[in-house]
Amino acid sequence: MLLDQFNFHYISGWTAVASWRWIANDENCGICRMPFDGCCPDCKLPGDDCPLVWGQCSHCFHIHCIVKWLNSQQVHQLCPMCRQEWKFKE
Amino acid sequence: MASMEKRLQKELLALTKDPPVGVKVNTDAITKNLAEWTVDLEGAPGTVFEGENFQLQFKFGSRYPFDSPQVMFIGPNIPLHPHVYSNGHICLSILTDDWSPALSVQSVCLSVVSMLSSCKEKKRPPDNALYVKTCSKNPKKTRWWYHDDSV
Repeated sequence: MLLDQFNFHYISGWTAVASWRWIANDENCGICRMPFDGCCPDCKLPGDDCPLVWGQCSHCFHIHCIVKWLNSQQVHQLCPMCRQEWKFKE
Repeated sequence: MASMEKRLQKELLALTKDPPVGVKVNTDAITKNLAEWTVDLEGAPGTVFEGENFQLQFKFGSRYPFDSPQVMFIGPNIPLHPHVYSNGHICLSILTDDWSPALSVQSVCLSVVSMLSSCKEKKRPPDNALYVKTCSKNPKKTRWWYHDDSV
């Protein structure tokens, strides 16, 4: 009698949906101009494969973009935005 | 090559949609070759170049924006300025030593217009005759010596 008052539903399967975004102080990478929530022009997938990095000056870039820039500099390694010496934020 | 083209496409779109005053990109010519742009510049009002029009040529290598573009004045009117040689070469540090990948066609154009605007007396660099005789065709091959920030 009690059971008749309830309708029981059984879950046969489920699919999780989530969204994510980087928390950065800008929308786009100052080097490649692609959105931070996208990836650098050399990558296919955003996220862990194309992460962001921050400098101690607080400017942020796709890791692939800033490393490409730093590798091209022989004398000083400066932040492209503020021209202070680039140091990765720990 | 792909990353250079992606960035140039974005810059072209932004510059044609929302160009700064006195800067006009020649879009028709660019659709044929994205690696070479011509930009029309107007001398700013209230400066010695008021009413004059100039043409800037940009050439981009495959490593742009990690390498600076090759930028020079072309056409019939090369501004008479102490940092602009009669062959169109410009002595401006952001075009070589002080280049940053955060700079763009727009920021280079604005720097050039600002360099022109601070000029009080129209004249060529003192070493113009010797330089244009001995320099490379590519201004990026010149070892520029940046010593005068006043104009």
